[in-house]
Amino acid sequence: MNTPNFRDVEQLSALLDGKLSPAEAAKLESRLRSDRTLQAILDDLTQTRSLLRRLPRRKAPRNFTLTRQMAGVKPPTPRAVPTLRFATLLATFLLVFSLATNTLTTAMRQAAQAPVYGMGGGGGGAEDSGPAIMSEAATEPPAATLLPPEAASEPMTTLVPTLLAEEQPLDLQPTPDPSLKTGLAPDSEPAPAPAPASAPIPPAWLIGLLIIALICGVAAWLISRASERSWRAKTK
Amino acid sequence: MDESALIRDAQAGSLDAFNSLVLAHQDIVFHTALRILGDEDQAADAAQDTFISAFKNITSFRGGSFKAWLLRTVTNACYDELRRHKRRPTVPLEPETSDGEDMDTPRWLADPGLSPEQLTEADEVEHAIQHCLDHLPVEFRTVVVLADIQGLDYIEVAASVKAPVGTIKSRLARARLRLRECLQGFQELLPPSFRLEGERI
Repeated sequence: MNTPNFRDVEQLSALLDGKLSPAEAAKLESRLRSDRTLQAILDDLTQTRSLLRRLPRRKAPRNFTLTRQMAGVKPPTPRAVPTLRFATLLATFLLVFSLATNTLTTAMRQAAQAPVYGMGGGGGGAEDSGPAIMSEAATEPPAATLLPPEAASEPMTTLVPTLLAEEQPLDLQPTPDPSLKTGLAPDSEPAPAPAPASAPIPPAWLIGLLIIALICGVAAWLISRASERSWRAKTK
Repeated sequence: MDESALIRDAQAGSLDAFNSLVLAHQDIVFHTALRILGDEDQAADAAQDTFISAFKNITSFRGGSFKAWLLRTVTNACYDELRRHKRRPTVPLEPETSDGEDMDTPRWLADPGLSPEQLTEADEVEHAIQHCLDHLPVEFRTVVVLADIQGLDYIEVAASVKAPVGTIKSRLARARLRLRECLQGFQELLPPSFRLEGERI
């Protein structure tokens, strides 16, 4: 009779659960017949397992059913809501884009109309016509590209009077200016106010976009809320 | 409605179908958690977490035993609960010695409000076994709860605790041996038919 080791206990435990192969089970059962210690261990294991199996079943102290909140279930979204949300998003994007376009265009126009100092000379008598000439020059391609080849080769001293002479009709007569009465020098005159630049995107379009964004956003919110309320009432 | 139909509906998102499954299995889940954790409140928390996790992952259930699948989920929930409990330890209910060690005597023996007669009546088998289960290492405890208390097959236990079948076999044998040794200290509390004979190994 050998002293049982843990391997034997493991085998006995598996025999108890019917988890040994037929050959292993037969071999162990023949040992059990001759080894009383092994048999006693098997009895102990059997009784222990029996005790565990007869352990009283404890009932759940409460129900563990899930609420929709616990399960993270959200109310179904009405079909119109995604469309309305998309419309809101699109209208908002277009509105922002339009506003940005208008602002940038206005800023660029103002920059183009601003007087450029240090060009066109400061000679007396030509001050009044300076801004008009510069304004024209700013919007026209370079003079050299417009002139015939023979003119392009002429020196600038001869070209400038020619260009000035071609600016017809150009009113070179000084207009009565109230600043003259106050004795101010012509250089300190305020620049003539530029004509109000018309925005490339009309305000009506902007207002329309704003109204669409607001209506769609509010409608999506109201529909979602009404749908959630009815869903909650149904699932109570 | 049969279980497989309820599972199909739950997989399609029906919470009502899932709650029917909860009602059918909540006792098994709670009992398993209670035997692994040894505390009713923790077991209730673990059971609730089990069902929440089960609902969220029910689409991963690919057939087979739904009970075994739930027991695998509750095992994980119990491990999480034990880890949480380890991070935030509470005052132990077991009496302690002056050195801070748990006393071997179970708490119900130290309760001055209970007479020996009441002790005998107060399902002593359950208390003795739970005490011995509580003193097993958690990996042995889980295996013995799943195999011997819930009656799962070795393969199902192996899947639940993510360990090879050979390891389950070994852990189960060790757990049974340790329980046997522990229960011998409670011979007088056990009904005569359950009394174990003297130590033989």
